[in-house]
Amino acid sequence: MNETKPNTLLRRSAPNTDRDIQPFWDNVANRQLSVMRCKTCGAYYWPASYCRNHDNEPFLGNMEWVPASGKGTVFAFNVHHWAFDAALKEQVPYVYALIELEEGPLIGSNVIDCDPSEVRVGLAVEVTFREFAAADGDVFTLHQFVPAGTQSTAS
Amino acid sequence: MTKFADQYAIVGLGSVIGPHPEVSGRAMQAEAARLAIEDAGLVPSDIDGALDLKRQGGGGDRPGYTDSFARMLGLPVNFYYSIGRGGSIAGLGIATALGFLQAGLAKYVVCSNFVEDWSNSRKTRAEGKIGMAHTPRRGHYGTPFGDLRAVSHHSFFASRHMHEYGTTSEQLGAIAVAQRQWACMNPDARMYGRPITIEDHQASEMVVDPYHLLDLCQVSDGAVSFVLTTADRAEDTRSPVYLKGIGFGEAMASLWWEKRNYTELAVKPAKEAAFAHAGIELADIGHAQLYDCFTGEVLFQLEDYGWAEKGAGGEFVASGATAPGGSIPVNTSGGLLSAYHFGDLTGTLEAVTQLRKEAGDRQVDANYSLVSGHGGEILSPGMCSIHSTLIFGTKE
Repeated sequence: MNETKPNTLLRRSAPNTDRDIQPFWDNVANRQLSVMRCKTCGAYYWPASYCRNHDNEPFLGNMEWVPASGKGTVFAFNVHHWAFDAALKEQVPYVYALIELEEGPLIGSNVIDCDPSEVRVGLAVEVTFREFAAADGDVFTLHQFVPAGTQSTAS
Repeated sequence: MTKFADQYAIVGLGSVIGPHPEVSGRAMQAEAARLAIEDAGLVPSDIDGALDLKRQGGGGDRPGYTDSFARMLGLPVNFYYSIGRGGSIAGLGIATALGFLQAGLAKYVVCSNFVEDWSNSRKTRAEGKIGMAHTPRRGHYGTPFGDLRAVSHHSFFASRHMHEYGTTSEQLGAIAVAQRQWACMNPDARMYGRPITIEDHQASEMVVDPYHLLDLCQVSDGAVSFVLTTADRAEDTRSPVYLKGIGFGEAMASLWWEKRNYTELAVKPAKEAAFAHAGIELADIGHAQLYDCFTGEVLFQLEDYGWAEKGAGGEFVASGATAPGGSIPVNTSGGLLSAYHFGDLTGTLEAVTQLRKEAGDRQVDANYSLVSGHGGEILSPGMCSIHSTLIFGTKE
C-alpha cells in the first residue's frame, strides 16, 4: 500500500487535527481505530472528553486512547450527490455516516464498498482503512466502514 | 421582584436586503444601524453601546480586525464587540445588551450584523466550489469524510427523524411549500413571485439525500440592525416592541451525550425560561419565526415546543398548519428557506415588523411572536448546538 502513487488515490482534505485528537489520528495512520477510555470506570468516549461519571485527574490524566473493536452500526447517514468541491466530482455519490461504535460513542466516517441504496440506519458495519491524497500530494489514512462480513482479507 | 416582561424593548429596526456591491459589508452594517437609530427617533449621539452580531464558530465568519460599523458610523459608544454562535446572534446579542442596560452601563444599545454569503459564494464558484466555501472550518473532524457544507451534517437530522418516526421527504416538502407561500407575500424575499408545489420539491435536485435542493436555505447578502433600550425610554418612541421573554438551551447539557441531538433540539430549557419570563402559554404565540436553515429544523421545533406531538410533526406540517391560514403561522417572511438568511435576525426582523403591523399582505395580527436561533460546533459525531428563544410582544 505504501508505494501507491498519490495520483491514483482519491482526493480528500487531510484531517484537521489538534493536540487532543492527534493520538487518535496517529493510531488511524497505523490502521487502528481507537476510542478514549476512563481508567477509573471504563466508560468510553469520542472525541477526547473528561469522564462524566466522577471527578477527574488533571488534564484528562485518567483517560487513555485504547483500540476499538471496529464494529458498529449506522446511526444516521446521508448520500452526497453534489460534489461541493470539484476534487470530489469523481466520488459522488458517497455515503457520509455517523457510526455507533460497539463501545458506545458515535464517530463520523464513510460507508464504502456497497451501493449507497443498501445503507440503512442500523446496518452492521466494520472498520477498514484507506489511503487518500490531499491537494498537496500528501498521502494519509482514513478509517472507513464497510457492511459487516463483506470485507475481503486483502483490504 | 419586577416582572421581566415589558422591561426592555426594541425601539428601532433597520435592514439592508440584497447585494450592495458598491460598498463593503461593514458599510451595509453601518447603514442598517443608521436606519435603526433613525427609526427609533434617535440620533447617533444617543447610542452608548454597540454589538456586532457575528456568526463566530459553527461554520461562521472569523472576527475582523480592520474596522467596525460603530466607528464608521461615528457612534459615541462606551463599548463595542462581537457576539454570536452560528445562527444564534440576535438571542445572544440581546442577552448581552440586557446586562449593560440592567447595570446602567448603557441607555441605548444598537446591534447590527452583515452577511455577504451570496457574493462570496459567487466568487468561490469559479474555483469549482458550491455554496459556503468561504467560511473556514478549522478543527472540524468531518472534513476528510466529505462533510464540506452545513447540509452535510444537517441532513443527519432528517435521516434520524425519518428512521425513528417515519417522517417523509414529502412532509418536509410541506414546510418548504408553506414558507414559499409566505415569501410570495413579502416583496423583499428572495423567492418572491416564485411559488412552489410539493411536486416541485420532490423534483428538485437531490443535494445530500434525504435533502433536496428545496430543503435548503438561502445564501444571502444583507444587514439587519435594531436598537434595544429600557421600557421607560421606549414609551416615547413611535412603535416599541417589548421583549417578553428570553431563554437558552445547549445540546451539550444532555442531548449530545444521550445521542438524542439528532431527533431533538435543546428547546426545553430555552422555552421554559422564556415562557416563565413572559407569563404566557404556547397557545398565546400568534406566529413563530423558527430557525430554518433546513426544513428538518422547523419540524423538530414544532414538536419540541409542543405545537405537535413528538414524531407527529410530519403530519402536522402536511396539514398546512404553518402556512397562511394555518393554526400557527411559521416564518411569515418566508424565513431562511425562501426569504433571506441573516441567522435569527431574519426572525427578529419579521417578528418586530409583524407586531408593529407593518407586514403588508402577509400581516398576521398577534400579541406575541416567538423567534428562535440555532448554531454550534460540528463534531462529526453530531452537532452541539445552542438553542435560543425570544418572545416579543406589544405592551399589555
